[in-house]
Amino acid sequence: MKSTAAEISTRQRSTSKVGSMRARESAPVGDADSLFWRIVRPVGMAALFLTLWGLAVRWSQSDLFPTPGNVARGIIELIQKGLLFKYIVASVFRVSWGFTLAVVLGVPLGLALGWYSRAFQAFNPFIQILRPISPIAWIPVAILWFGVSDAAPIFLIFLASVFPITVATIAAVQNMQLVYLRAAQNFGLGTGELFRQVILRACLPQIITGIRIALGVAWLVVVAAEMIAVNSGLGYLIIDARNAGKRYDLVVAGMVMIGLIGLILDLLVRQLEKFDEVRWGYIGRRK
Amino acid sequence: MRKILIVFAIAWLVAITLVHAWLNLHLFDSKGAATTDHKKFRIGFLPVTCHLTCPVTDFINKQMTGDSFFEPVRFNGWPELKEAYLSGYTPATFILAPMAMALREQGVPIKIVYLGHRDGSAVMVHKDSQIYRMQDLLGKRIAVPNRFSNQRLLIFRALKNAGMKPQDVDLVEMPPPDMPAALYAKAVDAISSGEPFMGQTELDGYGRVLWLTKDVWPNFISCVLAVHEDMIKNDRDTVQRLVDGIAKSGKWIDKNMEHRMETAQFVSKFYYNQNPRLLAFVLSKPPDRVKYTNLVLRKPDFEEIEKLGREAGILNGSAHFEDYTDASFVTDDTKVQPYAWEPSEDEEHGR
Repeated sequence: MKSTAAEISTRQRSTSKVGSMRARESAPVGDADSLFWRIVRPVGMAALFLTLWGLAVRWSQSDLFPTPGNVARGIIELIQKGLLFKYIVASVFRVSWGFTLAVVLGVPLGLALGWYSRAFQAFNPFIQILRPISPIAWIPVAILWFGVSDAAPIFLIFLASVFPITVATIAAVQNMQLVYLRAAQNFGLGTGELFRQVILRACLPQIITGIRIALGVAWLVVVAAEMIAVNSGLGYLIIDARNAGKRYDLVVAGMVMIGLIGLILDLLVRQLEKFDEVRWGYIGRRK
Repeated sequence: MRKILIVFAIAWLVAITLVHAWLNLHLFDSKGAATTDHKKFRIGFLPVTCHLTCPVTDFINKQMTGDSFFEPVRFNGWPELKEAYLSGYTPATFILAPMAMALREQGVPIKIVYLGHRDGSAVMVHKDSQIYRMQDLLGKRIAVPNRFSNQRLLIFRALKNAGMKPQDVDLVEMPPPDMPAALYAKAVDAISSGEPFMGQTELDGYGRVLWLTKDVWPNFISCVLAVHEDMIKNDRDTVQRLVDGIAKSGKWIDKNMEHRMETAQFVSKFYYNQNPRLLAFVLSKPPDRVKYTNLVLRKPDFEEIEKLGREAGILNGSAHFEDYTDASFVTDDTKVQPYAWEPSEDEEHGR
């Protein structure tokens, strides 16, 4: 009874292996690249960018916009005051909860709506109406409902990330290959098993892609979400620095930290794609 | 693999929640913040000099008795501050006088109980600009904090005095913290908001005072202390204590220049997170730039705001002084004594 989409796909993978290997050989950037170059390219680009930034500030003679050095000193100041770690924890806390809630609600909802076409007809317009509303527009509502506690930013992050997950899941179920379903029908699976063993597993690669996009969005709205009067977080750091007068070094420091943590989060989610359960869905697209 | 992921996700949520609770919510502090905090009511304020008496009252109470009787909550903009009041999160708040009056007209149970300050605003222009009189602002763009701000009414009044019409200038709304940069970049021709954002442009060397409020509208009011009507009904003693505290700290700030300089230090450090030089500058140059005495509610002041508010189209005139104020808490400013607290020389201001 434990024949699953993953197993079916294993067979598929073995047949498509030849094709993917050929694609790999013809790719211009191959495994022959040494680790050295793989590090030098991004680091060199970053160095070039920082140099241009510094020169641009000097040439424009702006004494409001900070140089990279000012920003680095700003970050060191935040570390010395013990604020940076606190703020990172606060932001990551809110994003973790908002995003987890979005996954826990969004994936089952997407599976159900993708499978039951009548429910899809009923709910899809609502989802499409709610989806384009910016989290910033929800700020007043969030304050009225949740005050200015942690719940308000978590709610905003949840709102921003639940729709990409739901929509990706719906699309994945709707575009699922019929062969999996027929196989499942032949084995006589019940509804519960069908969802867990076949539909979820067959759709997992696309769901993970949706989750990756949603995590990016969740982290993106952290600044907007922390515009509410919470007193911690990287978004708060930016808004607080605006209040503090000429502290644009701290504004940019907050931006830099948000960017760096976003990069780390994306690298982590990418690790999910390496699991066997989903890797089959990406083979052939990779170099 | 799925089990590992779920276990990892749960462990992560628990871990980040605990660290957040420890670092930011201070739930594990030995003082037991959770046991005392729920009794305290929250007061909303912004990091502007118009709301200075709020942190000063909090700080002096902590110094004198070891604890304050309310919890000041700092906001970053008017809309959020107003919404937190409407949601009941902050039963008391510092707020723009016309905004409180407009809320009252819309049926919100809000009562103004005391003034926050007098004066303390300015109109700033870029030091390179050719604007020296009100007439020079013809066709120019001026930034104001909010349509309900008294700065907007102030500009209308100044235009009127100069024989000009509101249509002669282009007013844009902008959060006060963004104004200095906008003036620096010459995105606007003039800016007007509460201090210290006006003083900042002067201190940083690109702003010039066109006029201070005291020159155009002496005893100008912009922000007031307002509380929920239910709080007056159910807990009059606490409101009395609050108004007394605000009145006493106002007198304390204005008692001498040492107090003003001390205020600049501890408020910048513990409440506003600004450079102390900035507050010291706006509290001393000139000393009557902003004042914290004579803060009793007086009917003629508000009638003037009502009149200007109606002309500006932000008030409809359906609420009057008796509706939106309760002036009974402090009726005679001269009887208010400043807090009997003196900062010691070498004191470490631990909060």
